[in-house]
Amino acid sequence: MNPAEANASHPSAAIGEIGLVEPHDFHCRAPFTFDSGQTLPGFTLRYETYGQLNATRDNTILICHALSGDHHCAGLHPGDRKPGWWNNLIGPGKAVDTRRFFVVCANVLGGCVGSTGPSSPNPETGQPYGVAFPFVTIRDMVRSQKLLLDQLGVVSLYAAIGGSMGGMQVLQWGIEFPGFTRRMLAMATTARESAQAIAFNEVGRQAIMQDPAWNRGDYPRDGGPRVGLAIARMMAHITYLSDASMDRKFGRRKKETADRAAYNFDIQFEVEGYLRHQGESFINRFDANSYLYITRALDHFDLAAAHGSLEQAFAAVEAETLVLGFTSDWLFPCEQNRAIALALLRAGRRASYAELSTDLGHDSFLLESPQLYDLVRGFLERDQPYVFDFAI
Amino acid sequence: MTKLVEKRTVDMRIIGEWVEPGTRVLDLGCGRGVLLDYLVQTKHVAAVGVDLDFTKISACVRRGVSAYQGDMVAFMRAFSAKHFDRVICSRTVHELNDPAEVILEALRVGRTVTVGFVNHGYWKNRVDALLRGRKLRNAVYTTDWFESRPTNPVSIADFEHFCATKGITITRREHLGGDWKSPCRLLPNLFAGYALYDLAK
Repeated sequence: MNPAEANASHPSAAIGEIGLVEPHDFHCRAPFTFDSGQTLPGFTLRYETYGQLNATRDNTILICHALSGDHHCAGLHPGDRKPGWWNNLIGPGKAVDTRRFFVVCANVLGGCVGSTGPSSPNPETGQPYGVAFPFVTIRDMVRSQKLLLDQLGVVSLYAAIGGSMGGMQVLQWGIEFPGFTRRMLAMATTARESAQAIAFNEVGRQAIMQDPAWNRGDYPRDGGPRVGLAIARMMAHITYLSDASMDRKFGRRKKETADRAAYNFDIQFEVEGYLRHQGESFINRFDANSYLYITRALDHFDLAAAHGSLEQAFAAVEAETLVLGFTSDWLFPCEQNRAIALALLRAGRRASYAELSTDLGHDSFLLESPQLYDLVRGFLERDQPYVFDFAI
Repeated sequence: MTKLVEKRTVDMRIIGEWVEPGTRVLDLGCGRGVLLDYLVQTKHVAAVGVDLDFTKISACVRRGVSAYQGDMVAFMRAFSAKHFDRVICSRTVHELNDPAEVILEALRVGRTVTVGFVNHGYWKNRVDALLRGRKLRNAVYTTDWFESRPTNPVSIADFEHFCATKGITITRREHLGGDWKSPCRLLPNLFAGYALYDLAK
């Protein structure tokens, strides 16, 4: 055991922060064929890494982000006050311990935070691809990131971890690269989107496409369907929370500026202000066409249909799997998370299912919860085999 | 090693002897996965446990034992007949809402069902009930009535009557005395402290 490992497995090991991080770009110069059959002459993935790749190049943990996430999952960017979106889980001495693991997270193909997507310039026209961009699937996201890991010299994935759409990618990793992927940790996810989830995505897409500024996907980088995208985000955000958590956070509290007797449609309730803020901050960081493409990728994800059955989908999986559901998640409910673990077990694979009682809804996987941390750490850093001693 | 830990290992050792190497084993009420960990290490079984409690599942995961958090009957219903070589129900039956449902479902998904339980008909328990007239409290039944979960104590006579009623074949039985070590052959419902059965249907 090297000193870093000894330190990491020691319960009193201090928890630290990664500190300043910077993104990198991986340029794939070879043509990439999407599941749809469409091709790109090459692509870029923006990614971040934390920790060090070990000598045997097998300590990599890939973090897979959700619909609106990106590659910046931990540490700080210069000048930022807010760290990456999973900073509570990832860092020195944390559940995903960067003293021990080499953590990689890339913005998905089709995204808009540095990776090639519909807002990237089409080399043929010099204009953004728009809806000329190839349709993206979860499998395309995974295959493109495999090229990145190859480039980084990673010979085997210690674990793939992700929630929601990230969880779908995790499952796809185990299926697509069975010998490469040694552990899958999927949270708040599903092996196939239900009608309800597709329906919510469709409302979001309609909000975007019915906005005249969408213009069939053809809009300048700083313009586009800002109203439509904001509404899509406002609605989607509700599906990430829960009745209980919204009630606790906002209740029926009114904005201080709201006149209690006012019979008008200005913002009156705090929850309205919150959602408007969510929508407005989203349009400044997300591309509407990316939103269409990625939600479509979510809808198309159906492992059972792609492989005949879920058991057949998992037949070749070699990874050990942990699926984690959250009781208040009504977007990808516990039942759908359980189904993944059960199918893996039916297929004769090693899989566990744990369920955390929370009231924060789908976004619970981002929760600051010692129970969640213990579970993740336990899955990644197994105890030494227990020695059974019957000597009395 | 405390008396109780010692007793637990005795139970484990016998089940360990009954389990065939390399088989597929399901443990209902797996707790922290100690038994399954032992079976994986000594018999190289493909193991999975079921328990209701998150912290227990978390402990199983930490040990590297596959575990599923949820209802055991719902879990078993997700599997085809005889998917498991052995289903173990060790010290769980007295806490089940519907023991017959669980054991019959276990017999559907398992070729063999192993049930182990503390014999409530053990003579000391009877004497205690007669003399004290209170809820049992000893090394096994550790809690007062007001701090315990509802339990459904079972005796050897109760259990064998159940098997006969449901047409369940007892393929193997092991009755241990009050020390949970030495075999008990005389009047087990009175003198056995612990009972283990292999069932088939």
